[in-house]
Amino acid sequence: MKKILSAVLCAAMLMTCFTACSKEDKKEGSSASDKKQLVVGFDADFPPMGFKDDNGEYVGFDLDLAKEAAKRLDLEFVAQPINWDLKDSELNSGNIDCIWNGFTISGREDKYAWTDAYMENDQVVVVDASSDINTLDDLEGMTVAVQKDSSGLAAVNDNEELKNSFGELLEEDNYLNAMMELESGAIDAVIMDEIVARYQIQSSGKNFKILDQTVASETYGVGFALENTALRDDVQKVLEEMAADGTMAELSNKWFGKDVTIIGK
Amino acid sequence: MKDLLSILTQLGTGFLTTIILFCLTLIFSIPLGLLVAKGRMSKNIVIRSVVRFYISIMRGTPLMLQLLLVYFGPFYLFGIKLRDLGIGKIDYRDIAAVIGFSINYAAYFGEIFRSGIQSMPKGQYEAAAVLGFSKSQTYFRIILPQVIKRVLPAVTNEVITLVKDTSLAYSIAVVEMFTVAKQISAAQTSVLALFVAGAFYYLFNFIVEIIMNGIEKKMSYYQ
Repeated sequence: MKKILSAVLCAAMLMTCFTACSKEDKKEGSSASDKKQLVVGFDADFPPMGFKDDNGEYVGFDLDLAKEAAKRLDLEFVAQPINWDLKDSELNSGNIDCIWNGFTISGREDKYAWTDAYMENDQVVVVDASSDINTLDDLEGMTVAVQKDSSGLAAVNDNEELKNSFGELLEEDNYLNAMMELESGAIDAVIMDEIVARYQIQSSGKNFKILDQTVASETYGVGFALENTALRDDVQKVLEEMAADGTMAELSNKWFGKDVTIIGK
Repeated sequence: MKDLLSILTQLGTGFLTTIILFCLTLIFSIPLGLLVAKGRMSKNIVIRSVVRFYISIMRGTPLMLQLLLVYFGPFYLFGIKLRDLGIGKIDYRDIAAVIGFSINYAAYFGEIFRSGIQSMPKGQYEAAAVLGFSKSQTYFRIILPQVIKRVLPAVTNEVITLVKDTSLAYSIAVVEMFTVAKQISAAQTSVLALFVAGAFYYLFNFIVEIIMNGIEKKMSYYQ
């Protein structure tokens, strides 16, 4: 009897523990639980838009924007890391309200309810600094990597001629893997978001260069489920406000050292 | 050095989730495994076939796929919004991980327990009957204690595998240690965090090994 009791107590303790830490992990700011939430889905392997900082907090340019937007809409901000491959399921099943994570609009126009684009981005080619690759034509016969289900992959797929010139096209799990493969010489080039590429090169100090010639130009927006246009309109309005009163430029300066935003301009 | 320290503290929180996931899975899957073993040996052909089918599916398909199904199933099959499935502050994400692991491991445990139960000689049942033991007395006082002794090495195997399998929860974005390690390595653009996570897993399993060895020793009272 004693043993059963202690087992039950143990289980109860573990459950409380689980509750406590999931609360810590996911719920930020106000503890008023009756407040409606804005659950923002993001890929936590995606600095500088959304990632884990040294203190274990989820931070990033996009998360800062989202947090400010939630504050202005009087919603409780919840940053929910997701598995990027499953973003559509997470969105459709109502786990998250939106995807806000350097989310490229181009090629996905009809799949989500979008806000206006708030910043620009190029798909660029990253190669080893010592490599002879200087233009897109030099990529002929080379092994090139992209992230799975990324806009880099979409950009390559749109450019049939470029794609066919590659020796091989690899789809990596995340950019870190791709960068490691590039560094170790297993592959010749990585096609990725310029914003992320610059951050990776700067923070890792690795000897890479970015080709001047880009693969595609695109813009980032916030994506909502198609039927959720009401919330989309609210966020859109708030984004315009933030652009007008300079909050957006301020956040952009904090993360990129310059104003890269394009909304309301 | 500063990097390593921040990796350790961050992995610590993920490690806690891993341990909780591990413990809850064991708490649910071992009793469930006993039931599965019972059902698999049932004289009723319907129960026996159903349990056999269940074991076959659980062992025959990838655990990652099962996790995805348990997690997204309620929405795609029944249209239930997953956010409504959470209990209080506990996300359905975490609940789905525990359910997924438990039903998968129950299938393996079930077969291990069955092998143990069936290895008991029939004479023991007959002797117990002669001595006037009831069926449940025979099972709990005579059979089960010996079964536990016999299946312990196989159970240890499964438990150690479970420690490492918890990392599969990253596929439904449960923030356990492996997920955290991947996030840190992306933020710091280095693989150091993944190696530290590996050390954590090994340490955990080392402790599991010591505990299971201790239990085995304690149980070998006839040798």
